[in-house]
Amino acid sequence: MTGARLDFQVIRPLDVASAIKAAAEHAGSRYLAGGTDLLVNVRHGLDRPACLIDLGGIDGLSRIEVTDEGLCIGAGVTLAELARTPAVAARYRALAEAAAAVAGPGHRAMATVGGNLCLDTRCIYYNQSEWWRAANGYCLKHRGEVCHVAPQGQRCHAAYCGDIAPALMVLGATVEIAGTHGQRRIPSVDLYADDGRAHLTLAPGELLLSVHLPPASVPSRYAKARIRGAIDFPLAGAAVALDLSTDRRVNGLKVALTGTNPRPILLERTEMFRGCAVDEALLKQLANLVQKQVEPMRTTTASAHYRRLAAAGLVRRLVNELSTPTAGAP
Amino acid sequence: MTVTKSAIRANRAGVPLIDGMEKVTGRARYTADLDHADALVGRIFRSPVSHGDIVRLDVSKARALDGVLAVVTGDDCPYTYGVLPVAMNEYPLARGRVRYRGEPIAAVAAVDAETAQRAIELMVCEFRERPAYYTAADARAEGAELLHDNKPGNVERAVHHVFGDVDAGFAQADLVREHQFSCAEVNHAQIELHAALADYDPQSHRLTMQSVSQVGYYLQLMLARCLDMELSRIRMIKPFVGGGFGARVEVLNFEIITALLARAASGKVMMQLTREENFLTHRARPQTDIKIKLGMQRSGRITACECEVVQRGGAYAGYGIVTILYAGALLQGIYDIPAIKYDGYRVYANLPPCGAMRGHGGVITRHAFECALDRIARELGLDPFAVRRANLLQAPTLTMNGLTVNSYGLAECLERVEQASGWSERIGKLPPGKGLGMACSHYVSGAAKPVHWTGEPHAVVNLKVDFDGGLTALTGAADIGQGSSTMVAIAVAETLGVSLDRVRVIAGDSAVTPKDNGAYSSRITFMVGNAAIDAARRLRAILIEAAARKLEAAPDDIECVGEVFRVGRGGQAALPFIEVVKAALVDEGPITVKGTFTCPPEAQGGKHKGGAVGSTMGFSYAAQVVEVSVDDATATISVDKVWTALDCGYAINPLAVQGQIEGSVWMGMGQAMSEETRYLDGLPAHAGLLEYRVPSIVESPPIEVHIVESIDPNGPFGAKEASEGALAGFPPALTNAVANAIGIELDELPLTPDRVMAALVARQRRARLAAARGTP
Repeated sequence: MTGARLDFQVIRPLDVASAIKAAAEHAGSRYLAGGTDLLVNVRHGLDRPACLIDLGGIDGLSRIEVTDEGLCIGAGVTLAELARTPAVAARYRALAEAAAAVAGPGHRAMATVGGNLCLDTRCIYYNQSEWWRAANGYCLKHRGEVCHVAPQGQRCHAAYCGDIAPALMVLGATVEIAGTHGQRRIPSVDLYADDGRAHLTLAPGELLLSVHLPPASVPSRYAKARIRGAIDFPLAGAAVALDLSTDRRVNGLKVALTGTNPRPILLERTEMFRGCAVDEALLKQLANLVQKQVEPMRTTTASAHYRRLAAAGLVRRLVNELSTPTAGAP
Repeated sequence: MTVTKSAIRANRAGVPLIDGMEKVTGRARYTADLDHADALVGRIFRSPVSHGDIVRLDVSKARALDGVLAVVTGDDCPYTYGVLPVAMNEYPLARGRVRYRGEPIAAVAAVDAETAQRAIELMVCEFRERPAYYTAADARAEGAELLHDNKPGNVERAVHHVFGDVDAGFAQADLVREHQFSCAEVNHAQIELHAALADYDPQSHRLTMQSVSQVGYYLQLMLARCLDMELSRIRMIKPFVGGGFGARVEVLNFEIITALLARAASGKVMMQLTREENFLTHRARPQTDIKIKLGMQRSGRITACECEVVQRGGAYAGYGIVTILYAGALLQGIYDIPAIKYDGYRVYANLPPCGAMRGHGGVITRHAFECALDRIARELGLDPFAVRRANLLQAPTLTMNGLTVNSYGLAECLERVEQASGWSERIGKLPPGKGLGMACSHYVSGAAKPVHWTGEPHAVVNLKVDFDGGLTALTGAADIGQGSSTMVAIAVAETLGVSLDRVRVIAGDSAVTPKDNGAYSSRITFMVGNAAIDAARRLRAILIEAAARKLEAAPDDIECVGEVFRVGRGGQAALPFIEVVKAALVDEGPITVKGTFTCPPEAQGGKHKGGAVGSTMGFSYAAQVVEVSVDDATATISVDKVWTALDCGYAINPLAVQGQIEGSVWMGMGQAMSEETRYLDGLPAHAGLLEYRVPSIVESPPIEVHIVESIDPNGPFGAKEASEGALAGFPPALTNAVANAIGIELDELPLTPDRVMAALVARQRRARLAAARGTP
């Protein structure tokens, strides 16, 4: 009943150029890394690629290197490795915490940095079997005309639920992308667009190669709200990087959120806190900013209201913890 | 004959399950692992609509597809099925009308999964839709269309029971309070997915059925009914089962459909359901709204109880009548309450049918009762332990609704968890956001009146011995992981004074084993255990006779310890077990004895309508303490520790008892914290283990288990049930702990972060309003 037919070809290129070439030659192909998101969707009939291009054979995609530029993380690095790499945990704590917070140990052993960044958006009306979606007349994101979350609109509200993207965003990471026209480097925040149907700015056939973190790091944390302490996607996830001056005033504050909007968002207007002490007034104002900028919709069983409050609550807590002396060392 | 303690019984740590090694090494074959190399693949075509008439069903293209061997529809089975003879209102494949999204309409058997799937996609069904109801309130509303014409108001069963003088009871109370609770529907979420392998031999017209069932006997009955076959032509075999919890305690539509396909294809058909289909098959605990009113005196004495329960039962009857009766009956049998009024309503709705689930019927009643008890006690300034102690029963007793209580270890359970948790030193002294809560619970040790009344014994065990000296216990009882086969082996070995590995247990093959009603209502230990002891006693008498002949002594002087028969304790003349067996077989040949157990009529419940439900030979009792922390940023609850004590009469196998208690607590925790099934216009929003949130190991707290042994006068070695009783105490203990931690009394289950957050926000709002009103 719910079983989709699995009839695809698998290609296993040995270098990036061959992978790009294969993607260009095979219409309807998809890149396959850990498969923890893609294969689930394929089995649900959400994606019916004629061809999967398995990136596992490409040498060099799964390295973590410390360079003058900072830290370079290959897109094929697994989340398990990312979480346990001392260079990451020591200087980019939010990223290590985010990687460790993804799903369960089995998933993290397979899932990759690139795959988590390119995670499909999620919605209760979308992540269902073919029978389910057909019975419901499909939806705006896939084969249908109506968004069941907001039937009046013509916008897909499926939520982006990757954990590591907000951590990278507050840490000022860039991503390296390869395509038929060569390579480009963009800020991690520019990888995403505000559309649940097309939330990645990657052109067809483009491949995410690596993530780059600047050498100077500021203290950072990541936390997520979820019903279970494992397996669950974030109902709301928050990353915070807080740079304090020696007199404990805000030099820089970056906040990013996931699980609430069609893309991970970098909180706007946090520059207003520059020079301020971290006190109850600041935390309250910051929580208000979060509540105004997140846009959770009925895309999961937990209420949108809860996700909004939890996002604000997490940000408050993380900023508070990072501003407490000795806590949250980089 | 003298009764002696054998080595096994002296080993109070217990023994690993006799089939445990096969399971942990992967050698155990579950239904999906059976050899199905030459089997066709079965698939089911399911309704996309919640409620409607089938206007046209066209399966011709599917039938014509290459590789399709059989297609069956409602036309192929004009017989209803169901677990209760009085409420069989469901067809295995819909006939003319569908009542929930996911209801089976047609099915196919094909050479492979791909062809079967293609055939499903070629089926066409048109409907004339009818109004659909997804809540009990909507289904009961004035003018609502009836799901079943003979059930006015869409009420499957209304129960009105009054015991004692309720009005007088409330009049004697110092405080009367009513509280309301709403508890989400949950599912068993057993790990092994539903599967069945049916093999129909067109020459002999015989059907061999292997399935995940907990009730092979019922399955045989229903297959005979729905396939219009002679019972004797059906053989039912139960392979290893990977979790029951009530999910397979009634015959399921896919089992009958698989058999229909096998007959239509004249061959073997394997059906394996997806997780989504498991949730559509459902048969679990219904969404329930419950009101409970208690009267209490300052001493903590309960003077009266009034309870109203509304269960949203889904589209068909299933076990519904029993569930709604249990919900009322199990108000009794745990505390001494002088007056009880119960009103229960089992309501139809256009959703997958509910059924029995671990703690059947009693869990939500217990939740509401134990929460309300705590709240009223709090108002009166009474300690939760004290208020429960003020209302204990005295065994032996007969409750107002005719339930027998012959052993009662609840007082000791309270003592044990109160001490172990350090309750009196710690309550009220924990840091902010942390709290302690407690609750009690109980459960039946087998329904004293079987669902299908035949006049036969409640349980039969055959015990065979042959020239090799091996003992083979034959039982129809379904071991579904709870350890029932191990229990049978221990009962036999213990009674005969032989080592456990001399006993082999063959279970659940209708061609070989005596009929058994199955694994439900925690009946196996009590009933099958007693039957096994009875069989072993009969065999022991035969062996002792033989030994006496050989040893030229009187049978009364013979005893068997450690597989050696002696004259008197420490007697010189001795015979090894195998020699005695050989002696017994002279002139006789292989010996098979039969042991039986029957619940006496006085244990079979009160005379009132529905009085049989809840009746049992003995209740297990449990008390537990739960310690929680509540995170204020995300409103997430974590359980830090659980202390639980269960009176199981006597722990035949303490290791298995501990496992069952931990499992009950853990399952109660799932229902309390995170599990719920939700529907979007009748479509399951929870159709996978990502959205149906069974706790992970991260949420699993240390569970400290205390076994209390009250030695029931009728139980096997004094034993009662141990697998369900500790479940129902968890949700109220957790809710009471959260109230202790953050001062908020929550009225809904599960206590998910969004519900806790909503309660915190509501309290802030109330505080603001109060402050605003307070300032001029």
